[in-house]
Amino acid sequence: MHDTADGGRPWTFYALAAFFALFVLFLYGPMIVIYVLSFQGPNGGLTFPLNGVSLHWFDALIKQERTGDIAGAFQRSIGLAALVTVLTVLFSVMAGLAFRRRFAGAGLVFYMAIASLIMPGLFVSLGIGLVFQMLDLSTTWYGSALGAQLTWTLPYGLLIMFAVLGRFNRAYEEAASDLGATNWQRLQHVTLPIVLPGIIGVALFGFTLSYDEFPRTVLTSGSSNTLPLEIWAMTTDVTSPALFAVGTVTTVISFIVIGLALTSIALIERRRVRRAVSVGKSATVS
Amino acid sequence: MKINQQTVSWLQVAPLTLVLLVFFGIPMVLVAVVSFFDYGRLQIIPAFIFDNYLELFQSNLTLRLYATAIKYTVIVWAITLVIGFTVAYFLVFHVRSLTVKIGLFLICTVPFWTSNIIRMISWIPFLGLHGVFNSGLIGLGIIHQPLFFLLFSDFAVIVAYVHLNTLFMIVPIFNSMARIDPGVIEAAYDAGASRWRVITEVVLPLSKTGIALGSIFIITLVMGDFFVVKIMSGGQSATVVSALSTEIASLQYPPAAASAVVLVLVVALMVSAILRLVDVRRELTG
Amino acid sequence: MALDSKNGAIELVSVTKRFGDMVAVDSVSLSVPHGAYCCLLGPSGCGKTTILRMIAGHETPTQGEIRIGGASVAGETPLRRGTAMMFQAYALFPHLSVLDNVAFSLKMRGLDRAERQKEARELLSKVRLDHFADRLPAQLSGGQQQRVALARALITNPRVLLLDEPLSALDEYLRLRMRGELRRMQKQLGITFVHVTHTQLEAIAVADILVVMDQGRIEQAASPNTIYNTPRTAYVARFIGGQNVLSGKVEGVADGTATLRAAGGARLTVPLGSAKPQPGSQLYLSIRRDRIDIDGFRVARTLSPR
Repeated sequence: MHDTADGGRPWTFYALAAFFALFVLFLYGPMIVIYVLSFQGPNGGLTFPLNGVSLHWFDALIKQERTGDIAGAFQRSIGLAALVTVLTVLFSVMAGLAFRRRFAGAGLVFYMAIASLIMPGLFVSLGIGLVFQMLDLSTTWYGSALGAQLTWTLPYGLLIMFAVLGRFNRAYEEAASDLGATNWQRLQHVTLPIVLPGIIGVALFGFTLSYDEFPRTVLTSGSSNTLPLEIWAMTTDVTSPALFAVGTVTTVISFIVIGLALTSIALIERRRVRRAVSVGKSATVS
Repeated sequence: MKINQQTVSWLQVAPLTLVLLVFFGIPMVLVAVVSFFDYGRLQIIPAFIFDNYLELFQSNLTLRLYATAIKYTVIVWAITLVIGFTVAYFLVFHVRSLTVKIGLFLICTVPFWTSNIIRMISWIPFLGLHGVFNSGLIGLGIIHQPLFFLLFSDFAVIVAYVHLNTLFMIVPIFNSMARIDPGVIEAAYDAGASRWRVITEVVLPLSKTGIALGSIFIITLVMGDFFVVKIMSGGQSATVVSALSTEIASLQYPPAAASAVVLVLVVALMVSAILRLVDVRRELTG
Repeated sequence: MALDSKNGAIELVSVTKRFGDMVAVDSVSLSVPHGAYCCLLGPSGCGKTTILRMIAGHETPTQGEIRIGGASVAGETPLRRGTAMMFQAYALFPHLSVLDNVAFSLKMRGLDRAERQKEARELLSKVRLDHFADRLPAQLSGGQQQRVALARALITNPRVLLLDEPLSALDEYLRLRMRGELRRMQKQLGITFVHVTHTQLEAIAVADILVVMDQGRIEQAASPNTIYNTPRTAYVARFIGGQNVLSGKVEGVADGTATLRAAGGARLTVPLGSAKPQPGSQLYLSIRRDRIDIDGFRVARTLSPR
């Protein structure tokens, strides 16, 4: 921006870039330590040095020796996250469309969503637990925990849809009507496909927020733990690098999901963005 | 025969509203109601007494808990503000290529989409007596005895909070800064402002909304947290919500509920103080 | 499909459009015969785009009636009206290929894939874009996008084509060329075109009927020639350009001429047509710059600058 006269970078650029690099190191450093430590040898402890390199602790996960019901918790987490993702996308997209018009009570719904977003998760958990106890229902990971997590993902989904639909150019919808589309056809063939990257974003948020969710789930999951709850149980009792192995595995899963979502968004956007090269080439033809 | 547009909106927003009402609205009301209940050893007794609140306000412990929570909140807020502002400033104003900008932004953001607990845990082998940091410093000859204050201390708690929550400062500030018309910055330079003056006179005021939003996030996250403080202080420190979680674990719901209600009111006060200073509604809906 | 699908004559009968307190179109009446090229000309905010959108069916008149082909089109969808619109920034669907863009209306009607793609391809070859059928709109130049937008609108076989500032996104050279293209196309298709613009020369170049508008009202609607040669109001004269608009107070009227005293003291002798001005009233006249002859001059007095 404010470059020096010869087009070079001011010294502040390097200072800030160094700060940024330190920050990234701060973010990733400890996590990398964990990944490395998860390959600890069978006799190794919780910190460096590495006493041999092995997959022993990953093995322990699968065999569930010192780790509790990891496999079960993992399955439940994935299943729950999938459910949460589907419901979040459906409900957030619909609600986002609703907010494009004025309707009575819009403000109330909006503020309730914001309140739900910033309310400490533990309180939501407590509240739902109490409700279920009073109604003499048992809390389950697919019932009460699902609802609890939705109170966290739906507001995010709604905000994303606000941003996405706010940027959306209504001319596309008018053109569609002009060409004979009914309201439903317009939604199906024009509006939704165009905002698809945003919808993928909502799905991504829904999945990751649910998969890693802890405070809201802690009192609502009932007798079967999700993965974060299982991990929490292990932390109060950290005796083996198996915990690190769990951390590595679950982070890899997160990265895969994030990578998939971001790649698909990037691919879609790239095709739709104006490319300067073609314009020059075809200027003569037009 | 056309359905009223309002009705369409209501139908579209219904699922989200219902879920929020059932799993957020009603539970929160119930928590407030339970805060007036009586309780015995193992059960809660419906009543309408102020005992829970009285105990809360008369106890010295309450004051200490709030003091600790607010202490953490202020320190974390200050640190994340500086880091968030600097990182956002670097990304918006010093990175030229859009692709690089997005890439670096993603690098900062992706860790936040993985498990919070794992990321918090990852500091333990890092900061421990035999951990990476201490061993490294000893190895370099800077110190001869491992530093004790690194782990299971206020330092560790704050490091963990900063590590987990800086994203929530970066994103809103980044958004605000990105909306600043570059022409305004250029005009400031043309008028003879130094780089520092441009930051204080132009960028900072125009990022007010982002800073306010980020601050609201940080306050609600730190004040509402219970697990970071429990683990990273080694049980030595307690904040409002961590003490609350202990009460919940012993099934003492009414006092826990009263504590929750008071905390929500305190946080709401802090948040509305910020909102009075800065109008963030445009940012959320625009 | 629609009501009389052959007749694209448009009639606006005392059409008014209000947005809250703001009157965008103020009791406008207009008659456009079938197959005419009509241009709505005026500055931004004059109501021309609102009228276009009301003819299309994207806005409803607050008062008044719109007839196409002799019958009222109130409450009808754009497709049923037999109108098709070319939007200002073309509004090509960014997620669909050029071919799918053009075939869109056929897909909405329910034609199967093979059939609608065949029809779309035919139309694309008519506008010489069949090689771009599989590209996305983002990969086309402005001029090419415009032709796609045109093809997409024309595939519905409209009796009226509505163009919202179709040339404003193009560079100068293309703009000049496209004027001729549009006019040629209109004559060939034989349907009514309604073209909105704020560029005078463009309107004069393409229109059969030129409608000059200001602040929600029609100042004059006639052929470009008529408007250029005989503007009805000072506003029209100034807007069309190439005119000198003078004014003065009527001092005397005598056998078909009037003497005016202009500001600054100059005296003008002006032939009256059918006008019968009262002495003392303000009269406006316009003289085209190409009709001025300087025939020797005397300095009667120096005019004081004002």
